[in-house]
Amino acid sequence: MNVRAQMLTGLAAVTVAGCIPVQIQAPDRPIEINLNVNIRQEVIVRLEHDAEDLLQQNQDLF
Amino acid sequence: MTRARTIDLLTPMLIGAFLLAAALAMPAHAQAADAVVAQARAAGQVGEQADGYLGYPNGAQASADVRSHVDQINIRRRALYTSRAQQRNVSVNEMAAAVACEIFQGRIAVGERYRDEGGQWRQRTGSQQVSMPSFCPS
Repeated sequence: MNVRAQMLTGLAAVTVAGCIPVQIQAPDRPIEINLNVNIRQEVIVRLEHDAEDLLQQNQDLF
Repeated sequence: MTRARTIDLLTPMLIGAFLLAAALAMPAHAQAADAVVAQARAAGQVGEQADGYLGYPNGAQASADVRSHVDQINIRRRALYTSRAQQRNVSVNEMAAAVACEIFQGRIAVGERYRDEGGQWRQRTGSQQVSMPSFCPS
């Protein structure tokens, strides 16, 4: 029983270990940083209206 | 006689409608800027930062009262940024940065201090424009 559980755990570990590298491989570091910079500026342009709205609606805070 | 009665009825109705409209319009204008913080900003003890929050310039002597007001404002700003960020599916920092762009564009008076994107405190002088963070739309 105990041995079987250990074997299953081992098998699960191997399976997980076998899977993870494939998923991690996708985002390459330099590319991710570049994407973040682009997305960020785009997002802020998109939020311009919301930002104006927040200032108008909460004049006690700004 | 009929006419007079109509007017009698109409006047209170008009007054009622006016009061209702005034009451509805109130919330948008009722809030005024915090006087304690406004004074501290003018005195250079408190300033706007590029991260969308208020901060204390180097060497500034802000009183405990000022600090408690500033803390309250920052907590409430954060709550605002958080809820709007969730609605728009963006990060809280991005929402805060977008607001900072608006603040830097038009809400820093001449003589006030502000903290730029690089973390450096500056003062807006008469001839100088506020230096805008690089993430702001031009």
